[in-house]
Amino acid sequence: MVPFLVGFVLFMIVPLVYAIYTSLYTTKIIGGTVFSGASNYTQTLQSSQFWSGVVRVIIYAAIQIPVMLAIAFFFACVFDLGVAKFGRTFRTIFFIPFAVPAVVGAVMWSFLLEPQFGPMVHLANAFGFSGTNFFSPSLILPSIIVIVIWEWTGYNMVILYTALKSVPRDVVEAAILDDTPLWRIIVRIKLPLVRPAIVMLIFLNTIGALQLFTEPLILSYFETGAVSANYTPTLYLYNTAIAADQTNLAAAGAVILGLVIVVISTASLLFRRRRGEFS
Amino acid sequence: MTELKGRDADPAASQSAAALPGPTSAEGARRQGRASEGGMGRWVGARRRAARKQERLEEQDSAIPVELYGLRRGTVTLLTTLAFLFAIFTLVPIAWIVINSTKTQANIFETFGFWFASPFSFFHNFSLLFQNVDGYGTYIQWFGNTALYAVIGGVGATALSAFAGYGFSRFSFRSSKVLFYLTLAALLVPITALTLPLYLTYAKAHLINSIWGMILPSMISPVGIYLMKLYTDISVPRELIDAARIDGGGEARIFFRVALPLMVPGLMTVLLISVVAVWNNYFLPLLIFNVNTKYPLTVGLGLWSERAQNSGNAQLFPMVVIGGLVTIIPLIVLFLLLQRYWRGGLLLGSIAN
Amino acid sequence: MAAISTRELTKVYATGVKALDALDLDVADGEFVVLVGPSGCGKTTALRMVAGLERITSGTISFGDRVVNDVSPRHRDVAMVFQNYALYPHLSVYQNIGFALENQKVAKAERDRRIRAAAGVLGLGDLLGRKPKQLSGGQRQRVAMGRAIVREPSVFLMDEPLSNLDAKLRVQMRSEVLRVHRSIGAATLYVTHDQTEAMTMGDRVAVLQAGVLQQYDTPRALYDRPANVFVATFIGSPAMNLYEAGLSADGASGSRPAAVLGSQRLDLPAPVAAHVAAYQGRKVIVGIRPEDLVVSSGPGLVTEARIVEVLGSEQHVYFWLDATPATQAAAATDEPAEAGFLVGSAPNGMARIDPHTPVKPGARVTFTVDPERLYFFDPDTGQAITG
Repeated sequence: MVPFLVGFVLFMIVPLVYAIYTSLYTTKIIGGTVFSGASNYTQTLQSSQFWSGVVRVIIYAAIQIPVMLAIAFFFACVFDLGVAKFGRTFRTIFFIPFAVPAVVGAVMWSFLLEPQFGPMVHLANAFGFSGTNFFSPSLILPSIIVIVIWEWTGYNMVILYTALKSVPRDVVEAAILDDTPLWRIIVRIKLPLVRPAIVMLIFLNTIGALQLFTEPLILSYFETGAVSANYTPTLYLYNTAIAADQTNLAAAGAVILGLVIVVISTASLLFRRRRGEFS
Repeated sequence: MTELKGRDADPAASQSAAALPGPTSAEGARRQGRASEGGMGRWVGARRRAARKQERLEEQDSAIPVELYGLRRGTVTLLTTLAFLFAIFTLVPIAWIVINSTKTQANIFETFGFWFASPFSFFHNFSLLFQNVDGYGTYIQWFGNTALYAVIGGVGATALSAFAGYGFSRFSFRSSKVLFYLTLAALLVPITALTLPLYLTYAKAHLINSIWGMILPSMISPVGIYLMKLYTDISVPRELIDAARIDGGGEARIFFRVALPLMVPGLMTVLLISVVAVWNNYFLPLLIFNVNTKYPLTVGLGLWSERAQNSGNAQLFPMVVIGGLVTIIPLIVLFLLLQRYWRGGLLLGSIAN
Repeated sequence: MAAISTRELTKVYATGVKALDALDLDVADGEFVVLVGPSGCGKTTALRMVAGLERITSGTISFGDRVVNDVSPRHRDVAMVFQNYALYPHLSVYQNIGFALENQKVAKAERDRRIRAAAGVLGLGDLLGRKPKQLSGGQRQRVAMGRAIVREPSVFLMDEPLSNLDAKLRVQMRSEVLRVHRSIGAATLYVTHDQTEAMTMGDRVAVLQAGVLQQYDTPRALYDRPANVFVATFIGSPAMNLYEAGLSADGASGSRPAAVLGSQRLDLPAPVAAHVAAYQGRKVIVGIRPEDLVVSSGPGLVTEARIVEVLGSEQHVYFWLDATPATQAAAATDEPAEAGFLVGSAPNGMARIDPHTPVKPGARVTFTVDPERLYFFDPDTGQAITG
């Protein structure tokens, strides 16, 4: 108990406090560090770069999360019902990307999607989409979405599968005796009963999606043009702190970002509470 | 609409019934397997396979027969095909990295991505991992670092989670509820927003490049604590602890001798999750390490990727590929070995509550 | 033509476990048949195969003259009440009952009428808006029944519907279930492990053990003429006393045949003796029901009373008789036979006697029993000895 509390305070509370403290100061090259109040905050909040990043991750989350959850739920259902063969093997395979660090995943896909030599480009050409550049500004976000879906669908699927398995068998049997068609069994019986799991997954995935960082960064190494320094809010923070060495500004940004994400996450939690979950 | 098949609707059953002429029970089947053990190694393997087959058959028995869903013919084939396609999608990058780790730099870009090409440079590429190319860092060192961080961090996180989870679960002290909700609230705080302040604190305290700066924060895992509390609630009965207390055991002794053995499956899950989290962590080490000798694999590979594109040293490309391969192998092996331990239900419990 | 009939119905699971062995059963239209037996005896398996929820390994099931092995449970026109009720947890009582009708695309007005009718029969009118978690066990059970009867099925299946209720409620619901059955009039197959339910509710009762049918008869016949030791000890509570006995020709008075229990003899009148004539000079198992033992002040079976339970309406006397109890009696219960923890002369028999005769623990008690009320079984096969 105690070591955890100590650690908790040390590694969570203290840095937060320090960050807030730092964000209230500004370091100038000449003149040293000066208390500047809320100026760092206003600067960040007024920065169109910051906000464009925020908008981008929101759009990204709005697309990636439903698509991924749909795929995950589809397969979770299929394996739970046992209506495909080799369920166990497939489930193990689908889960493997969870063991792959995001960096490596992004690297692998970067090679695959490489505009000049990547196998995926050859494939696209074969299908008649010649000249696709997966790293072009218009396709880079979908490419990132594909990578993230590759990484996380298995994990979400396993969780949904477990949730589906906990639906009591006799309820489904009763539905069968009532001559319920399969689609109705899924939609009107199984789906409502796993709603808590789905909502929680949306919540967790949202938090993760809003903090998108690694994949765009790695892709930017392979194709510097497509990913700007402020592509996502976290990237913006990173570049401000490290590349531009404006730690105070970055501290302010971190606090703002943290708040934004906490607000969105809490909102989704409360939303769930109000809808009332089945327990 | 497919209907129930005929008389011998259960060919598997009649087959196994025929194959086991004597025993009509699961016990009998196991007894038969054991009888052929005779202390020889390969019979042990056979028994394990038989046990797994048993599990699979039991799973089969407890699932609703597929024909009751009233599906059109060929739906099963269609769905199996779809699953197969997604499996291909999942395995494509992995296949790519396995195959291309054997190629020279030129071949990676010029030959067909999914088949081998001569010369077969796997071992040459592998040897590069032991060298410090252009001063950008030595892979083997990174591997050691990652292993160190992951093991210590993972084990530490599991231990702390066990203590804390047990504490929250079986002790009721004033403010335990408050602290617990505080822990859960910590889950809410986005990691990246927290990591930057952490970096700033380190900078101030001169802790940059300290390995403990990497390991210690990794040991604080609200998720792990939550999971362990949940698991302890389920698997360590309150009465058992009370009985042990009445029998006069010291709290520490109760924890280690009575509670801990019951918590093992949960511990395995938390261990797996924690080790994976540290192994795959990118943002924290990226910020707090600026000497490449301390880098874990993630940061190192990131560095190489960037340098490979921009520094003109084309040797780095195959190094990135084979580096990536060697990075993911330990975890995948760990997964496959520990499969039986992750209680999916535990993952779910943290989610659906 | 029976409404439900099974021939050689067998179930072997993929793991090799044989749950049901060649069951032959007939249920007439409108009949209430109970499948009873200890857990693991195959009764639920049989029920589920009739429903179509379990694959059939071999044998046939017919509804009327139609073999339904290949018919999906969706089209068999059976309704089932599950042991844990299996209500749709997120739907209201109204929606639960009406779910099947929705599937059948019954018009809204008609659906509403039928739901309310079914709810009315079961007294659920006020609860239609509630969700299952807001209901008590008894109410949930009634909703489960409502869901079944609203479909007006031709076959009604019930899997231990009362076992999750407390004792008092169970007694009350027994008559409820029968009332509903009579108003519906469908052939009903009812599974339970409680022999009291079986005896009080069934038109006919099928006793199963370890997948094998032991006897299929009316409750009266099961009680009076049990086919084997298992049925004898399973039916009737408290259970029958069983002892090993020898049959000898010389009785206490002249050469009257007698059953020899330990050192004591029970004279057998001619008809009884003729019944067991084939076993003269050999060992048999003798069964005596506790309610057939009467305290006597004269000659009879001499025992030592060990424990006396005073119930008010009757007394239970646990006695020790100088005879060898038959160990097959353990087969009728789920638990293995245990040695009493008071070793030595632990009680090996039980009698139900009138409430007024004073019996002291430790004292000698003599019982008489009408020899016509004795049961005889083969000591090797456990089968009842038929004359």
